[in-house]
Amino acid sequence: MIRHARRKISVLVAAALLALSVAACGDGDDDSSTQELKPGQKVTLEFWSWVPGIDKAVDLWNSENPDVQVKLSTITVGTSGGYAKMYSALEAGNAPDLAQVEYQELPSFLLADGVEEITQYGAPDDADKFVDWQWEQVSFGDEVYAIPQASGPMAMFYRQDLFDKWGIEPPTTWTEYEAAAREIREHGAYIGTFPPGNSAWFTALAWQAGARWFGTDGDDWTVDIDNEATRKVAEFWQRLIDEDLVKTEPDFANGWYKDLQEGQIVGWVSAQWGDAILRGNAPKTAGNWRVAPMPQWDDASEFASANWGGSSTALLKGADYPEEALDFAVWLNTDPEAVDLLIQGGYGWPAASDAFSGSVLDRADPFFGGQRYNEVFADADEHIDKSWQWIPTTSQTYEHLNDGFQAAIEGDGTFVDAVEQAQGLTIDDLEKKGLPVAGE
Amino acid sequence: MSMRRHDARTAAGFLAPFGILFALFFLLPIVYAIYQSLFTIERTGALGLGGEEQVFAGFDNYVDALQEPGFVDSLGRVVVFAAIQVPVMIVFALVLALLLETASARGVPFFRTAYFLPFGVPGVIASILWGFLYVPGVSPIVGALDQVGIHVDFLGGDTVLLSIVNIVTWEFVGYNMLVLVAQLQSIDPNLYEAARVDGASGWHIVRHIKLPMVRPAIVLTTVFTIIGTLQLFAEPLILKPVSTSISSHYTPNMAAYNEAFSNNNYHLAAAEAVLLALVAMVLSFGFLRLIGRGGDRR
Repeated sequence: MIRHARRKISVLVAAALLALSVAACGDGDDDSSTQELKPGQKVTLEFWSWVPGIDKAVDLWNSENPDVQVKLSTITVGTSGGYAKMYSALEAGNAPDLAQVEYQELPSFLLADGVEEITQYGAPDDADKFVDWQWEQVSFGDEVYAIPQASGPMAMFYRQDLFDKWGIEPPTTWTEYEAAAREIREHGAYIGTFPPGNSAWFTALAWQAGARWFGTDGDDWTVDIDNEATRKVAEFWQRLIDEDLVKTEPDFANGWYKDLQEGQIVGWVSAQWGDAILRGNAPKTAGNWRVAPMPQWDDASEFASANWGGSSTALLKGADYPEEALDFAVWLNTDPEAVDLLIQGGYGWPAASDAFSGSVLDRADPFFGGQRYNEVFADADEHIDKSWQWIPTTSQTYEHLNDGFQAAIEGDGTFVDAVEQAQGLTIDDLEKKGLPVAGE
Repeated sequence: MSMRRHDARTAAGFLAPFGILFALFFLLPIVYAIYQSLFTIERTGALGLGGEEQVFAGFDNYVDALQEPGFVDSLGRVVVFAAIQVPVMIVFALVLALLLETASARGVPFFRTAYFLPFGVPGVIASILWGFLYVPGVSPIVGALDQVGIHVDFLGGDTVLLSIVNIVTWEFVGYNMLVLVAQLQSIDPNLYEAARVDGASGWHIVRHIKLPMVRPAIVLTTVFTIIGTLQLFAEPLILKPVSTSISSHYTPNMAAYNEAFSNNNYHLAAAEAVLLALVAMVLSFGFLRLIGRGGDRR
């Protein structure tokens, strides 16, 4: 009897072990070799993205391409955890074929060996379908690493009804912005918020002021965050916060949405894709918003806007069918129908060249009281310093700035201190990664 | 002799399922983390994009972690957090348990379930729920306090840690209470009767019978709470987008998570995780030592 029971146990243990070893093998199917498609063979590409409305474009592709089906998984926005998911999938060897990667994150993916070099699959043949500077954002050295999707030229959204009621003109300069902020405070509202946890926004403002934080010098990376232009921007916002002229609540959070809905915040210096954010989160304010060009610095010699956000479709390392994946990525970002679907979702400013005229961007919009508001962004897009580059540790730089701004708002240090610290810490970040930094 | 060997084999057979899973999903990851923490990546070529190689680094990652002000701050922060959280949790759980086990208590099953219910809510969901109650402009609590002239910022630099204490207490107090209730129920009722015959009041019974008898359960829940608080992760991560006072390395676990998955520095992250485990070990065993020496060993 005991003997019998023992045998049962050992069978059980063996079964358990077998189950475990099978589970462990479950992920082992992706060999790195790419496969040629046989005629009539059907493939499924996996695609991770968070862009609203992209599902409709994927559906369109799937209906037109029965042999190359794309399976879309909606993931968290990259900086809120989406990239963490991708990096761990890459580390585990089960990454999707395609993924949404923002321009500022692309160098990090390069460093992590996470994206396929797609020059070898003929990506340069498609270069002329895209706006030059956005193509530059996905090219490093002689190689291309992703297909550009969209960018975010900036302007200012404002509540025209309230501005009119209070007799305030939309500001054309930052000095006027400050004056307008003061007047708006007298009516109990704020002109905007300074989001201390979202330094990508601050980065765009420094970009407009003429800063160029990152670059390369020969074989070395260069870091120039702490410069006159950045300091000017930091001091400006520090003053506005000190005098309670702007809020300091996080953007894209419930409190901020509530303030937008209720007219507590009446302006937003933002990118073109901000239109979808306003539409989606403050629907009852429809018709009251307008778009004005981004306020300018008094000492600026010519009109300048900036870019906030920008994204590509990248082939992640280990993509099984790179040629099919590349075809899809190019189609997604150039096909007029797909681009229209993406625009309606609010993906930003198309990277496809000549996408503006005739598209859904180019029409009067009732949410903005019938204004052809995208003309403002089209003009902004013409006035961006397009030589801006990113480094492989951009997200860490954002974190350093966030920490510094948050500390300053809590009363510990100033915004200029935050900028100064970010400079040093960013150089440390690069060196810790074993990357050469110029002048160090 | 042969029978004894037989027993040993049977015992091994029974232990095997646990042992194998324990080794695979507990010991192995720990060994792997320690292994990873001893290596680093070296890069070559123009812009460092030429290639990478994993090289032995000794304790460099540990030195780096301890020199990182953010990580050291985060360790300090969870120790402060534990100093507040542990007494609040244990006292509160104990009071609830004693109340439920009072002779005159009414509706015990209902209240026991009600107190325990939040434990069934995952930490992430709990943090989202409480987040809504903390955000100004959305929260009815902040709104109501504003109406009567009290302006509170639950998410500010001085308060957000206490707001997290509140969430964690809400989540786990019912669980700890249940452990204490179980121990209270195992006390022989004759003891109470004897005490009453001797003229003991309700308070005397709590002080001299109930508390000493549940001591092991208090020790157990305290150790669980210490370890749990040091591993604080989900609550601050969820509150981060709505609070300007939570950085990406607010707690050691968040710092390690951020290093690993946002900065792709798995080696430094592993070192940080090992350091956190060491701190948790020192505090837990330190607490047990302290208790063992100070109290009467039963």
